Amino acid sequence: MQRIFNALVQFRNPILYFVLLGISLLFLNNRSNFHQSQLHNYSLYFSQSLYGVSHRISNYFQLKKINDQLLQENRALKELELKSNGIALYPSALKTKRRFPFQVKAAHVIKNSFLNQQNYLIIDKGAKDGIEEEMAVITDRGIIGIVKTVSEHYASVISILNQDLKINVRLKKNPAFGTLSWKGKNPIDFQVEDIVMNAGLEKGDTLITGGMSSYFPLGIPLGKITDFERNIQSGYYTISTELFEDPSQVYYVYVIENLEVKEINGLNKELPK
Amino acid sequence: MNRDTLALCSIFLLLVLLQVMLFNNLYLFGFINPMVYLFFIVVYRFENDQTLFILLSFLLGFAIDFLSQSGGAHTIATLTIAFLRPIIIRSAFGVTSEIPSSFQNDSRILSKTAFLALLIGVHHLIYYSIVFFNLNAFYLILKNTLLTSVFSLILIALVSSLYKKLNDS
Repeated sequence: MQRIFNALVQFRNPILYFVLLGISLLFLNNRSNFHQSQLHNYSLYFSQSLYGVSHRISNYFQLKKINDQLLQENRALKELELKSNGIALYPSALKTKRRFPFQVKAAHVIKNSFLNQQNYLIIDKGAKDGIEEEMAVITDRGIIGIVKTVSEHYASVISILNQDLKINVRLKKNPAFGTLSWKGKNPIDFQVEDIVMNAGLEKGDTLITGGMSSYFPLGIPLGKITDFERNIQSGYYTISTELFEDPSQVYYVYVIENLEVKEINGLNKELPK
Repeated sequence: MNRDTLALCSIFLLLVLLQVMLFNNLYLFGFINPMVYLFFIVVYRFENDQTLFILLSFLLGFAIDFLSQSGGAHTIATLTIAFLRPIIIRSAFGVTSEIPSSFQNDSRILSKTAFLALLIGVHHLIYYSIVFFNLNAFYLILKNTLLTSVFSLILIALVSSLYKKLNDS
């Protein structure tokens, strides 16, 4: 107590000065409209810049939350985009129909391998989030694979960087379809086989998913043709293609749930092998 | 109440009246009103109590503001200059041993002029900054500060020599 008192006595002049300065500022503020509005402007400016700083700081800590929100929003938009894509590619008479109804779920990639010949990913959504085996996994600019096994909170995905996985694709401008598979070297270099020779194609044409499987809906853009060869003997093209999305560098993916997969698979079983 | 205190009180009142009645209506060249009341800040003895000095300066500025219907610029500028006066004294008169007991008791013209110029310059700068209170009026503030400072300096020097003569006789 004594020390506080001593400090007060020692610093009495600055204390007195600032108290009186405060009083005179109040006086100034009350007496003059001009100064009142100017002070108001300055205080607004300072509080704005202060709020700006704190807003930026708190924003930084909320980035993860914002990212998640954006991912959710993107998921909804992706669903809409896929649906409208599908419609645009059908003949006008079939406009209201889709190959199958689907739902989109967002997920984070927590492990991704791309150096082996058979690569897998692990995503952070599992059975609890409604993920099931054989669902398709896509990204915002292409496809990434098919769900292989599902645990409670996680799921493993067969990457398209896996030479065993064959994806049904077609040309965007032309309904000729073929099979996409990885060449096994560069993560974006793929090849497409079995496109019939009478389909005209050029370098730079876009490839989209064909919709002939129960995994992927029709019309997801995958990549573009970089080179092709005519194979006269077999009557098919062999096409080199480059993906839009590098599958070794994905962090967010969307899982597509086919709502009628059981019905389709049921019919498939009845077909003669 | 001794003689010095009485003299201080009468100077205080006289300066307020002079400033409000005469110098605030001067308008030299249309805009210059020399602030002769700063003589109080000059004449208050350097060795006397600083706390009382700050209070008195506040009252002085407040009185001028109150009587000249201005906002609070005189109060803030005078209060600040009173608070800063020890620093100004040190920078104008040099090391502690050379600081005189009051402005009147020193004979070094250069130091005295530097002291007056610093005191008046800082005061006017604060005063006009508050009056215009706008960064865009920077040149206007500088111009007013410089020109008014010159006239205030001359007037305060005159009053000071007059006061010295009155005291001596």
